[in-house]
Amino acid sequence: MERKSKYLVLKDRLYTDSDEWVKIDGDIAVVGITDYAQKKLRDIIGVDLPKPDTRVKRGDPVAVVESVKAAADIYAPMDGIISEANERLLDSPELINKDPYGEGWIFKVKLTEKPEGLLEAEKYMEKIGE
Amino acid sequence: MFSTKLRNVEEELGGDFGEFAGWSMPMSYGSYLEEHLAVRNWAAFFDLSHMGRLMIRGKRAEFDYLVAKRTEDANAGKMVGPTAFLTERGTFVDDVMVYVVDGSSWLVVTNAVNREKVINWIRRNSGLEVEDLTFDYAMIAVQGRKVWDFMEKVELQPLNFVLGKEYMGIKTFLLSRSGWTGEDGVEVWAKPEEIEHLLRFLKERGVRPAGLIARDSLRQEMGFVLYGEDIDENTTPIEARYWVFSMEKEFLGREALKEQLRSGVNKLRIGIKLKKGERTIPRRDSKIMLEGQQVGVITSSTYSPYLNRPIGMGYMNTSHFLLGYSVDVEVRGKRLEAKLSDFPLV
Repeated sequence: MERKSKYLVLKDRLYTDSDEWVKIDGDIAVVGITDYAQKKLRDIIGVDLPKPDTRVKRGDPVAVVESVKAAADIYAPMDGIISEANERLLDSPELINKDPYGEGWIFKVKLTEKPEGLLEAEKYMEKIGE
Repeated sequence: MFSTKLRNVEEELGGDFGEFAGWSMPMSYGSYLEEHLAVRNWAAFFDLSHMGRLMIRGKRAEFDYLVAKRTEDANAGKMVGPTAFLTERGTFVDDVMVYVVDGSSWLVVTNAVNREKVINWIRRNSGLEVEDLTFDYAMIAVQGRKVWDFMEKVELQPLNFVLGKEYMGIKTFLLSRSGWTGEDGVEVWAKPEEIEHLLRFLKERGVRPAGLIARDSLRQEMGFVLYGEDIDENTTPIEARYWVFSMEKEFLGREALKEQLRSGVNKLRIGIKLKKGERTIPRRDSKIMLEGQQVGVITSSTYSPYLNRPIGMGYMNTSHFLLGYSVDVEVRGKRLEAKLSDFPLV
């Protein structure tokens, strides 16, 4: 980022209106929550993860990120099948605070069709007022 | 919305602001967990400028009748509290701290959410004069197990205060040895520019800035209530097991409490501790279940970094006030094991 921002938004991924990020690599999409979302939730205490092989539809609540402030639903950003969940988060949910775009990823989705309705970084930055 | 006048310095220190009781206040400075542990291990400061602060003047007997604890025989410089203003039904108008200034004037600290209500209630129920000082002075608390390693030692016993003293290079309006975290420390009221100076100095000395989330988790460990969550105009001090009254004296609401002591109560406040390592936090209104039926309800909860588990408090039906027994708390369809515990939880 060139200018100093309150929230980090990476150019190499796409975003949802509900503050998930998506990084697409072939037919696998990695999903997590944005720096903005983790800062709003503050210290993350726990997560509920989806089970691999679960079929999900765009907009389904599939995971929960728990902080003192709220238990926030994390939505599937696209249709597909859960291929993996980040089980390290079960013991170290604070990874989402420390590294929301890296080690704090939450689940992976095997795409069954082309994702739709995701936001480019610039649009997402506008949305969060950056 | 009101804003703390310490906002500039707190933003410099990395404060993350949020709304509490109609005030924009620092909620944390990055991690409430670390701020909480700083209080239990070292020291931290909190901005409490949202709290209602009233100067009340008038006849001693008239003031004493409004307060559920005895204030008449307390000497100047003593704090009486926590105590309460009660309705005729014996329920909480507010829980407050009273500072005896002299025989005809008192300072009262109210919950932020109740400031205006209390002012009107005092005027309606007495001929006392009320002056609102809330916007004249900022207020901070410095609290911690090692607080005197960082702060100039005060020559005050716990729950004593002094007016107009110089302290650590600033001119204070009020300095008291008190707090709401279970640790030793001071509370300071002073002009915002004076406190701003003190906060920068404290930060340099290694006192950690802390926000209202840490204050909330600290008070829950001690079993201290929060008005609007754990007590309100539908709860009495008896149900809350919050001994803020003295039956040895006359006060507004006394008859209702006397009647409740005679007839007994249907619910009582209790603490809960979940299992170590549990990472789902009960929420306000989560049901406390036993043998498939609801026997209580959660009113406050948080995650305690000191105990490494979720904790909280709520009300149990008196038929099931089973201290020490394990029950289930229902959270998003999950049943979490919780031990019914007395306060403090640490």
